[in-house]
Amino acid sequence: MAIEQTSEAISVGGRGIEVLFYPSSVAVIGATPKPGHVGYVIMSNLLSKFKGKVILVNPRYDSINGVKCYKSITEVNDEVDLAVVAVPAPVVPQVTADAVKKGVKALIIISGGFSEVGDEGRRLEDEVREIVKNTQVRVLGPNCIGVYNADNGLDTFFLPEDRMGRPPKGPIALISQSGAVAAAILDWASRRRLGIGLAVNYGNKLDVNESELLEYLANNSNVKVITIYMEGLKYPGEGLRFLETAKKVTQMKPVIVYKAGRTKASAGAVASHTAALAGDYEIYRGAFRQAGLIEANSVREMFDLAKALATQPLPRGRRVLVLTDSGGMGIQAVDTLSTLGLEVPELPETIQSMLRKFLPPLAIVRNPVDVTGSATDEYYKIVLDSILPTSYVDMAIIIALMQIPGLTPNLVNYIIDAKRYGKPMVVVSFGGSTMMEKFNESLEDSGIPVYATPDRGARALWALVQYSMIKKMLREGVE
Amino acid sequence: MVHDIIIRALSEGRFKLLDHEAYELLEAYGIPTPGYRVVSNYEEAIKAANEVGYPVAIKVVSPDIMHKTDVGGVVLNINNDDDVKRACGEINNNIKHLAPYARVFGFLVQHMVQGGLEVIIGGLRDRIFGTVILFGIGGILTELYKDTSMRIAPITEDDALSMIKETKAYQLMIGYRSMPRRDIYSLVDIIVKFSRLMTENPQISEADLNPVIMLESGKGSYAVDARFIIKPT
Repeated sequence: MAIEQTSEAISVGGRGIEVLFYPSSVAVIGATPKPGHVGYVIMSNLLSKFKGKVILVNPRYDSINGVKCYKSITEVNDEVDLAVVAVPAPVVPQVTADAVKKGVKALIIISGGFSEVGDEGRRLEDEVREIVKNTQVRVLGPNCIGVYNADNGLDTFFLPEDRMGRPPKGPIALISQSGAVAAAILDWASRRRLGIGLAVNYGNKLDVNESELLEYLANNSNVKVITIYMEGLKYPGEGLRFLETAKKVTQMKPVIVYKAGRTKASAGAVASHTAALAGDYEIYRGAFRQAGLIEANSVREMFDLAKALATQPLPRGRRVLVLTDSGGMGIQAVDTLSTLGLEVPELPETIQSMLRKFLPPLAIVRNPVDVTGSATDEYYKIVLDSILPTSYVDMAIIIALMQIPGLTPNLVNYIIDAKRYGKPMVVVSFGGSTMMEKFNESLEDSGIPVYATPDRGARALWALVQYSMIKKMLREGVE
Repeated sequence: MVHDIIIRALSEGRFKLLDHEAYELLEAYGIPTPGYRVVSNYEEAIKAANEVGYPVAIKVVSPDIMHKTDVGGVVLNINNDDDVKRACGEINNNIKHLAPYARVFGFLVQHMVQGGLEVIIGGLRDRIFGTVILFGIGGILTELYKDTSMRIAPITEDDALSMIKETKAYQLMIGYRSMPRRDIYSLVDIIVKFSRLMTENPQISEADLNPVIMLESGKGSYAVDARFIIKPT
């Protein structure tokens, strides 16, 4: 893995968070044999996938589908690390009290019907807060869909697997303020085999908040990149805590944020959503930059950037080699790169004349290097091997429209081989044939991110440059 | 450490600092302002104008007037002793007619800084983030172009530089179309000091330094006008 990490761990906060992601035993409070119910989906997911002990709790059953069911968590003899609560809101204070009595280390309260619905709900939420106050017990939620961990199969997302795919293990973690958005992202990621190995939604954050989750993920060595879907912070003073935490975390690993609720109208929609009051977007944007967060403009872009940051080394400058078999695609890449403040320097005459010897007469060798529609795999190899190891460029965007006859799947090997030069590379490949899909898959399996359009590839390189600057590997000063 | 000026203004039931109080506060934090004197009559005003150097601006000093220009309480670009005398008379006359009940404490005579780039530095309090510092191009253009950037206080020199570079105004500072280069580091310095001023004085609910005039490289920047809205905490 190319991304460097400091060994410095964050000392404050993050207490008792790990058990939310890595419990050895989980109790499902509100387990039920009735398909379609939240408690049923969570129970089924855990029983079939979780690599640990699953305990069912519901006073109405002695057993569910052949598995013993306890009347109360207090009746369980074995140790229980984590309780997942899926019972109606009015019952939640009681089961929370039982769980605390039993000695669980943490609860994930899935149930809704708390502060997000008004005064009565707020009263219930206060009651739960009172019960866990002065204990070591941590609470995620209420009104959340909880945790997904591809590593150990911990999955409290109450959406059946035939409706919501689960992504494979991988280096990307997601913190989402919205449960529905988190579910949609995981479904989408599973189709694209994008490795979002950990995901968490925190709901009303009665106890555990986004800052603590961020700290925890910073210290989790499986996570290389953290993504955050945020609508708005909720409580006075939370902003500074988030800012201070993010400042430290972004020196350890890249954090990408997408903030919804940017305009006045959508800010209104968010306010009535998770009872959150979305702040003024310009202030958030300033805070993000100050904290070294990389801001994405959409959910899709967030993962475009995450993919590159999770796999590529960091560039030491802003100069990009644009290698293409299509002039038009090359120009699009240059447009986006220039807009984003990256450079596409003309190659020195010495390199140009050497390239001319090996490439056909119509090829353009200034940069973009256009190997044209008559390109073969070898042309790509020649360009990569003669330019990447020089000090003229810091990274490459490789545009390979595989529709042209001279290119074969073997091109993958040449591109992978060029990883040894230690410079970031992204590939742009666009098309629908099976060969192309295989081409893209082989590249991504080897840690080279592929994008469907030049501007998406260019933005991914921009994110790498941004993170280099955040890590102060590139100097910032007055021109 | 809350500054005495603010404590005094609040104890007198005022919610805005007077001009000279604002300048005093800025000076206490090392933020450069053009030379000024507070005087009570035109003879003193002439003496003051010669001390701070022409051209000068003369403004009425009154706790009861929010918008001095609207009541004819400001005269700009004064270049000689005769005009100072005339301006003082004019202001007295205007106030008598347009704000007859306003208490007048005197005149503020201030040297006018010439020919720079006008920018704004502002501060406000946000429920979630606390103290927010704003930077942008000055004057009415700020609101038209929305060419602003924000950071959360306290801010570092790096933060200040990055918020300046985030705006289009930065292009004007580094010599857009043969415009002179501006003193960017003096602006960094003012932003950092202003952030400290806002953090240490929670009674300030909002503040604008508008305009801050940036001179050419090496000549510094000056907070020419300042507005501090205060309230008891």
